This record gives sequence, structure tokens and C-alpha cells, in this order.
Amino acid sequence: MANTVEFHRVSKRFGEVQAIDDVSFSIASGEIVALLGPSGCGKTTILRSIAGFEPPDAGSIHIAGSDVTRLKPYERNVGLLFQHYALFPHMTVAENVAYGLRHRGHPRADIPARVEDMLGLVQLEGFGQRRPHQLSGGQQQRVALARALATRPGLILLDEPLSALDAKLRQDLRAELKQVLAAVGSTAIVVTHDQEEAMSLGERVLVMNRGRIVQSGAPGEVYGRPRSRFVADFLGRANWFQGVLGETRGGTALFTSQCGLRLVVTSPEDVAPGVAELCVRPESIDLLTDGADAKPGSNRVAGEVLDVALLGAVRQVLIGLRGGGRVLALLTNRAGDGVAPGRSVTFGVRPQDCVVLPALGADERRLAAPTRH
Amino acid sequence: MSTSSIRRLSDRLAMAAVVVVIVVGLVFLAAPLLVTALLAFDARNYLGQLPPPALSLHWFDKLFSQDYVVAGLSTSLEIAVLATLVNVFIGGAAAVGLDRATFPGKDALLSAFLSPLMVPAVVTGFALLLFLSNVGIVSGFARLLCGHVIITLPYTIRATLSSLVGRDPRLTEAALVLGATERQAFWNITVPLIRTGVVTGAVFAFAISMDDVAVSMFLTDPTTYTLPVALVANMRASFDLTIAAAAVLLTGITTVLILILERLVGLDRILGQGLFRS
Repeated sequence: MANTVEFHRVSKRFGEVQAIDDVSFSIASGEIVALLGPSGCGKTTILRSIAGFEPPDAGSIHIAGSDVTRLKPYERNVGLLFQHYALFPHMTVAENVAYGLRHRGHPRADIPARVEDMLGLVQLEGFGQRRPHQLSGGQQQRVALARALATRPGLILLDEPLSALDAKLRQDLRAELKQVLAAVGSTAIVVTHDQEEAMSLGERVLVMNRGRIVQSGAPGEVYGRPRSRFVADFLGRANWFQGVLGETRGGTALFTSQCGLRLVVTSPEDVAPGVAELCVRPESIDLLTDGADAKPGSNRVAGEVLDVALLGAVRQVLIGLRGGGRVLALLTNRAGDGVAPGRSVTFGVRPQDCVVLPALGADERRLAAPTRH
Repeated sequence: MSTSSIRRLSDRLAMAAVVVVIVVGLVFLAAPLLVTALLAFDARNYLGQLPPPALSLHWFDKLFSQDYVVAGLSTSLEIAVLATLVNVFIGGAAAVGLDRATFPGKDALLSAFLSPLMVPAVVTGFALLLFLSNVGIVSGFARLLCGHVIITLPYTIRATLSSLVGRDPRLTEAALVLGATERQAFWNITVPLIRTGVVTGAVFAFAISMDDVAVSMFLTDPTTYTLPVALVANMRASFDLTIAAAAVLLTGITTVLILILERLVGLDRILGQGLFRS
């Protein structure tokens, strides 16, 4: 498949801040990519440079094979969905959707039909004569989506598309957004700081920190096999253990933590035996209640329940280990039934759920910390 | 008395004091206007004690029967309309330029545009008179127009600039990404959104121009003078209540302008800027 976007060695500086630092990536035609990172990591600058608002200091940007690095926004055929919708308040919904069609030289006679089609696509038939301020936030964002897609852009950019909406509406609209993007088959880049949004919308996730892409891959891969502490921490929660990684034997190795925990782990490809860090996602911990067997090959660890908190769909259990140290586990309500503080428990962890990372020095640790605001 | 009731009492006293201050302030502002308005309708031919025994419009009759008043009023209106029109364009253009500008002297330039607000009017008037004579502009009308454009410019720039600063810059970006050029985005998106600010600035410019005495005094010539200048001159020569009638007239014009403004801005709020369709 031909690449729709070629982002080649692009850098951009704002005064003292290196917003993008020698970043390269390419996006295949029809692919939906999520740019995920904390605020200030440069993801919005990448989006704005693809749209044509921030010409890069160095590097080149190609869209559909042609060099657009120095082109004005109106000289590219790119759709952009803004975080706060950016609907024209002095125009009706239909006029908003028609705006791009009028300025991109669409035949005048066809515009009303196309506007109706687009409003149908986002389930807003009959809203054409309303004003943006008469619509709810979710409806406004759908109008913005219709407006961005009306001109059939080869590439659509979504800047934190759902973050201005409340949590429940965000989930509904996320599913709808995914359907609409699939229906039009457009290539899309979603910029977001919300890992759920990135993993559910993106077929591929590019995780960014401090102006660079730190990991790229399918959502499951980035979440399940993070390659740095930053990525592991930014995409959800993790239990961390400092310790020593032993020699590999038959695809597995033994990890001994400072608190005396000994776990069989799947051998990491890029970490040498020696001092290392271990990351275990809280949901990959199985509670072994009353003689239940661990999954074959699982590590069995004993501990005591310190605290239980019901979070709705899941139960968060804090377990104290015998040798000191604590483990956070997320259990489904069924699995966590009857777990109460003070109870002794045994839990299982599969070797493949243990992610070993090279140990960081104090300096690297500081640099790897997410720049959260 | 408990502490709580003492605290409530002191709250009440403070509130009462605020109300008293507001009422005194309003009386202080409004009473002279009311007295003037009442006197303008006084049927007597002299300045007598309040209240007037009977009401009549004879001061207005006398006002409009005087040639200098009619000439002054028409000059004032012409100057005010022209100065406002000129200002909407140059003030609007300056505001748009300043809003986009990123060069270092931007703030200094804005201060220069707004300086007529800070420089005493007498200084502005005298400086303009000298300057315009030196460059050969001696016609009273041209001099007045220049002067009024300068003293009302800060109002249009400020009003336009504040609406530019308050608008969402992403709307322009949205238009550009949808294929509009910078120029099209300006006329389709920016202008409709700042129209309220431009209208506000224009109304202010008109009102200030109609009202100005200090700068205009320097710039009139024997045949071209504005209404306020004519009234001041007349008041010195013969004091009578035509001046009260003129005051009511000027207040009336201003009130009408404010009502127009309120209607535009107020309707705008109700319709959510729907009034300003492109």
C-alpha cells in the first residue's frame, strides 16, 4: 500500500523549546494512527505541521507522494477536527458543512445534496438550519466531523477529538467516530493524551515524549510489551520491581527482586542478565482463591490483602508481600468476590506477563518521567 | 449579643453603606442633567427659580432660529459621520494589523495610536493647528476632520482590537484547512465575528466627535465651526437657556446612539451572533 504520509526527519523549535526533535514516521493509506503523549510532548506540533500551520525548521513532509512541506493549509487536501469543534458561530450547520465544498471548487449545484449526505453520515439529518450554539457538545463535534469529511480529504487529522466531552458521551462518540472513519476509509491521525482513546481508535499507536517517538506499534503490543518505563507508566498502571535478571534457560529466566520475590519471566530480547526492572500490569494478576489452580507455568506468590476498593466494573486489591513490597491487582468483581483486608492470599502471574526492562540510572529515571501537567 | 449576630449586623451595615454611596453617586451624576432638562422646557424668558411655573418649547425655537446653531450642528454631523467612516477603515485596519503583528515595536505602536487619550486635548489641538498650517491645510473643515479622526481613533482601534483578541483564532485555521485563502477567511470568518466590536467603536467615535470642544476650538475657522464650539462662544456673549436646549439635544442624540448599540449588541447575544450572517 502506498504511504499517505511521509514525515521525514522533521524538527521544530519554539524559542527554547524543541517541540519536535528529528521525528520520522510514515502512515499507510487507509491506516488510522494515534499519536499519544503527555501535553507538551510535541504531538500537536506534528499535527499542525501536517495541516500546514507550523512549517518545520528542518525535514520534509509528503502527503500522497507530493512534497507539502512549504505549502499553505489551503493548498493541501487535509481535513482537521478541532478539540473545541471550531464551528463557525455565525453560520448554520449546513453552511458550516458547505464551507469546505464552496472553497474547494465543488460544483455549486451538488453542494446541498452533499451536505445532506454528510449530515446523514453523522446522524444529524434535519439539523441543517440550526446554529452551532443550539446543539449539544456531542452534536457540535459531529457537525465538525461532517465538515472535515465533506471534501473527501485524503487525510484527516483529529486533535484531541473527544476530550471536551463528558466521560459517557466520549465513549459513545468514540465508537461512532470509529465507524464513520471506517465507512469513509480515510487515512487518519488522532492526537490524544488519553491512552484509552489512542488504543481504541488507533490501529497503530505512536507514543511520544519530549519531542520524540519513543515506541510505535499495535495497541496491544505497546501496552503489553512496553519498551521503556515511560511507555509502561503512560499507558495504564503497572507494578514495578527492582532486581536482578538471571541467565536465560529454555526461553525463560529467573528474576529476583530486592524484596526477595522470585519470578520466572519470559526472556527479554534486549535486556542482558544483571540489574533490571520488572513491570507487571495489575490486571494480569490472578487471585488463586481456596485451592484454585494457577494457569500452567504461572508463578505463585503469597501475600496478605491490605486494601480493597470497588471501582465499579473492577475491584482494586492492594496486596502486601511476605518479603515487603506491595502489588496492586485489578480483579473482575466475580474474581474479587469475598476478598477482604487481612486475608492471606496466593496469586499467580504468567511469565509472559512479566515485562523486564533495563534498570535506569537516577538521571534516566528523571528523563523518563512523563511531563504531566 | 452573640458573635454571630454582631457579624451579621456589621455585614448589613456595610451593605447599607454601599447602597448609600451608590445612591449619592447617581444623584450627583443625574441631578444636573435633570435640572438642565427641566430648564430647557422653562416657559419664562429668564433664568428663574425652580421649578418653572409653566413649560414650553420656546428655547428650542430660539435655538433652531439661530443660524450659527444650525450651521454648527450640520458641520458637527458632517464631521462626525465622515470621521467615523474614516475611522472604521483605518482603525479597523490598524487593529487587524496590530492583532497579527509579532514585531518588537508592536506595543509602542499601539501606545502611539492610543496616545490621544493621554495627551491633553489642548496640546493635541494646538499641535495640530501648527502642523496643519505648516503643511498648508488651512480649510477649517479639513482641519476639523483631521483632528476628529485623530481623537476618535483610539476608540475604534480599542473596540476592534478587543473583539479581535477575544475571537477564537482556530476559526480562521478551520477556514484555511477547508480551502479558504487568508483573504477569504478574513472576509468570511473574521469580519462577521468582529462586527460587534467595529460597530461599538463607530458609535463611540461618533459620540466623541459630536461632543468635542477642546481640540475643535483650535481648528475652527470663522465660517466653519462645530456645534459645541458655537455654543461655548455664544454662552460667553449672551447667557440664556438656549444652551440648556442644546444640551438636551446633544443628550438625545447620544441616547439614541446608545439605544442602537444596546439593540445591536443585545440582539447579538440573544441570537448568538446570528444577526451577523455572512
